[in-house]
Amino acid sequence: MTPFEDELKQALQRQEPAADFTARVLARCAAEETKARGWFGTWRLGAVVAGLLIAVGGTVYQQHEREVRGLAAKRKLILAVHIAGSKLQEVQQRVAESAEVDQ
Amino acid sequence: MKNSILKLAIIAVSLSPVWAAEDFKLPIDLDKLAERAKESVDVALDSSTLQLASGFLSRDDPDEAQVKKMVGKLKGIYVRSFEFDKEGQYSMNDVQAIRAQLKGPKWSRIVGVKSIKGENTEVYLLKNGDQIGGIVVLDAEPKELTIVHVDGSISPEELSRLSGHMGIPEMGRTKKRTKRDSAPEGAEPRL
Repeated sequence: MTPFEDELKQALQRQEPAADFTARVLARCAAEETKARGWFGTWRLGAVVAGLLIAVGGTVYQQHEREVRGLAAKRKLILAVHIAGSKLQEVQQRVAESAEVDQ
Repeated sequence: MKNSILKLAIIAVSLSPVWAAEDFKLPIDLDKLAERAKESVDVALDSSTLQLASGFLSRDDPDEAQVKKMVGKLKGIYVRSFEFDKEGQYSMNDVQAIRAQLKGPKWSRIVGVKSIKGENTEVYLLKNGDQIGGIVVLDAEPKELTIVHVDGSISPEELSRLSGHMGIPEMGRTKKRTKRDSAPEGAEPRL
């Protein structure tokens, strides 16, 4: 066996891990998992809150828009009823006066 | 199958002018009058807008409650009104285009008042059997042109009942005319 082979054999020699190796790996895995779950939980909560805010904001905006359109429509309706009623009043008045003239 | 579809299509096409004759639409040409007018009003409230507006009318306010009740039966209210600085800003052709639509068999002119001042007011009713399907008021004055179309089941009396409310002058408080100002033009005074 050459010195090189000897060195190689030594380098590749099977080494047993430390006694607490498995425990350390498992503990590390558990810690990473908890950390990841924590981040995911935070993001999930954030997304839910953002979604809720968007939904509430959207509803409030829609309600506001509906109110603006409704009040504008009401004003137009009152104007239309006013003009229609006034014109009919004028006609009624003219007809009544004409009838008086005829008599 | 093809023949029956063809027959249905022919029937539909042949009936369409009859329906169209009752379907009153304010002419688009009227927009050009707005450019010459000192003041113009353009109100177009279709069924859905009327329902929306109705939702904002109070039940506690007697005036608004009355309008709310009336609006429930309507399909639309359309108003075009123009006020001009001087006479001759609109032609009789503009008015004729409106009258032409009211020549259908279901439309009847219930009032026509002409005055020597050149004021010409007409009221047309659309009859759907015993019901009134709509009202058109056409008021052509030298410096003013107003067209009101109320589409739906309403009587002139209902509109007149709003007298003294909603800013509508009370009957008897409208402008008084002299004896020779107005002359009736063959119409039954039903209002």
